[in-house]
Amino acid sequence: MDPMTFSIIRHRLFRIVDEAVITLKHVSGSAITNEGHDLMVSLYRADGTLLMGGVGFLHHLTSAAEACKAIIRRFAGDIHEGDVFLLNDPYTAALHTSDIYLVAPIHFDGRLVAWAACFVHVTDIGAVNPGGFAPQAPDIFSEGFSSPGIKLMDRGTMRRDVLDTILNMVRSPEMVTLDLRSMIACCNVARDRMQALIAKYGPAKVDDACARLVEQSEALLRARLRELPDGSWQSRQYLDVMGRTARVVLTMTKTADRLVFDFTGSDPQSPHSINCTKWAALGGLFAPLFPLLCYDITWNEGVIRPIEMIAPEGSIVNCTRPAPVSVATVGAIQSVNNAACTTIGKMLAASDKYREEATAVWHANHFAIFKFGRNQRGGYSIGILTETFAGAGGARSFADGVEIGGEVPNPISRMANVEQVEGTFPIRYLFRRRARDSGGPGMFRGGTGGEMAIVPHKAPDGGIDYVISGKGARHPMSEGLAGGWPGAPNSYIWVHAPEDGGDAPVSGAEGIDSLPGRRERVSWGVFPLRGRDALYVRWNGGGGYGDPLARDPELVRADVVAGLVGTASARRIYGVEITDGAVDAAATQALRTTIRQSRLAREAAE
Amino acid sequence: MSSTGNLAGRISPGVGVGSGGRAVCTACGHDLGPAAGPWKDHAGVREVPLAQAGGEAYDTGDDAVVLRQFHCPGCAVLLDTETAMRGDPALVDRPAAR
Repeated sequence: MDPMTFSIIRHRLFRIVDEAVITLKHVSGSAITNEGHDLMVSLYRADGTLLMGGVGFLHHLTSAAEACKAIIRRFAGDIHEGDVFLLNDPYTAALHTSDIYLVAPIHFDGRLVAWAACFVHVTDIGAVNPGGFAPQAPDIFSEGFSSPGIKLMDRGTMRRDVLDTILNMVRSPEMVTLDLRSMIACCNVARDRMQALIAKYGPAKVDDACARLVEQSEALLRARLRELPDGSWQSRQYLDVMGRTARVVLTMTKTADRLVFDFTGSDPQSPHSINCTKWAALGGLFAPLFPLLCYDITWNEGVIRPIEMIAPEGSIVNCTRPAPVSVATVGAIQSVNNAACTTIGKMLAASDKYREEATAVWHANHFAIFKFGRNQRGGYSIGILTETFAGAGGARSFADGVEIGGEVPNPISRMANVEQVEGTFPIRYLFRRRARDSGGPGMFRGGTGGEMAIVPHKAPDGGIDYVISGKGARHPMSEGLAGGWPGAPNSYIWVHAPEDGGDAPVSGAEGIDSLPGRRERVSWGVFPLRGRDALYVRWNGGGGYGDPLARDPELVRADVVAGLVGTASARRIYGVEITDGAVDAAATQALRTTIRQSRLAREAAE
Repeated sequence: MSSTGNLAGRISPGVGVGSGGRAVCTACGHDLGPAAGPWKDHAGVREVPLAQAGGEAYDTGDDAVVLRQFHCPGCAVLLDTETAMRGDPALVDRPAAR
């Protein structure tokens, strides 16, 4: 095949995915899809293997491949043009029940030639708790509707009996209808554009290009791996729920052109819904691998071939049915994301050639807070606080992390406008801003996370309730790199208004200190937000890079002036003295010398 | 203290593999033991509760959650950090056996 034709077909495949994503967003009406970009669209070959991974949450790329293969096995002989299949069983392929896959075959001249697959986090799935994340679920049976594969559209016609059955089991059927319709539209566009591509170049030539694309990706990744140092690197993540701490332990070993991710040593599966299945763990490690090692390589089956995963059965990263998994995407899967990001970052940092591609861990701790209740118009609303997608960048070997800079596993994540949320829910924001001292200290500082507080506002029922799956609030999860510190951990505080009959707080100029009342840490379960109470949330910063004592004192001063680092931290962690808004060079040098001497003195004493 | 000289490889930006398969501080050349073994066994370490190390932003109300700082005993540069539950083993990074 001539390289021009190959390149054109490759770019057409990119554009098909892009257009399908745009379609998905245009049709969807949910904040989690449109504002948070909790979505994914990809193309798969006829056998279900990944052909062209799209953007969105990247841990879905490999899991949706498994979904395609599961549909092929289950419906062999009964797959027709215009069919659309639904799959959301985590023990078959999905990550958790609320992330529904729609999988659509693409035919040309009556022959199956490819698949399109997409997902959104549907507004509700009928789990014990609204919104899909179910911290109160003891098992998969409490986590809502779950299918290992069902035909939703038959030869282009909606199966109303199937659709109505699903809608009969969810809290917000009109929104879930929209979720499903948006995915069908997305699959339709992907199918139409793929058929147009094949019509132009012919099925044999397109198939040849696709096969070459997979071979190209494999060859490029193997070549890159050969350039990186051989060795093994470890990482560990902690997830705490209701006083129980679970560990995800990873040893990544790189030998020649192969990478092995070994989760031996991780804790047994949890009674809480933070577990993940093996397909989810596999997706979890690929989410950082795609952008960190394959930033210039097409994300497809070729990238998967040099990678091996070892995940002990019955562990938190390969749980067995009927263990609950509804919090997996912000639980064990995200910890796999983080652990893999750390070990890949360590490997890259050990390479003189690739050090600038290394990063400390970005936003490592999602906080799934789903608000629900009667809204200011008398209707019923369910929705996530999309600030969980705002994230924070990890520091690199040459630069600070991006403030509120998103996350590695989803390159297009973002959060909704305050006004969007206030227009949908009877709440008011007191403040939302960058959080001081949240970025992991280092020669290059981790990006800051954020902080916010909300109160009820014009709520017909006096307020709303929320489901929080805030595992990990005891542990910083955005690990630093090469001596950098981790980003500060998440914090969730229920501020009980004082019983003095005063007005609800109306501003938050001083942050949480502006909010009168008793503070109670919350992290797991269902809680009220009523009366004059407030909910304060602080989310984690990114990990730092390098020794904080090596940071340019002027950068520390600038951070203090901007309110990103406190003066106490500047002094204690960075060893920088600031007097009258300027760096005191002599005092800083003396302080840094003292801190270094204290490190060595401690060594001598021990 | 030895010279970093020509490194045979690196385990991290701050820890190289020197002659004879020894781990060394890349800043000052201080010997950190056999590269195949855990170099952290030969580093200085400070382990303190997170809240003490990082202040209010890191205070999660649990003193068993600690920050470990591994530094070079020769020049005091910070080589690595870990968060851990007190008593959990240190993470091990090492080059491939040759």
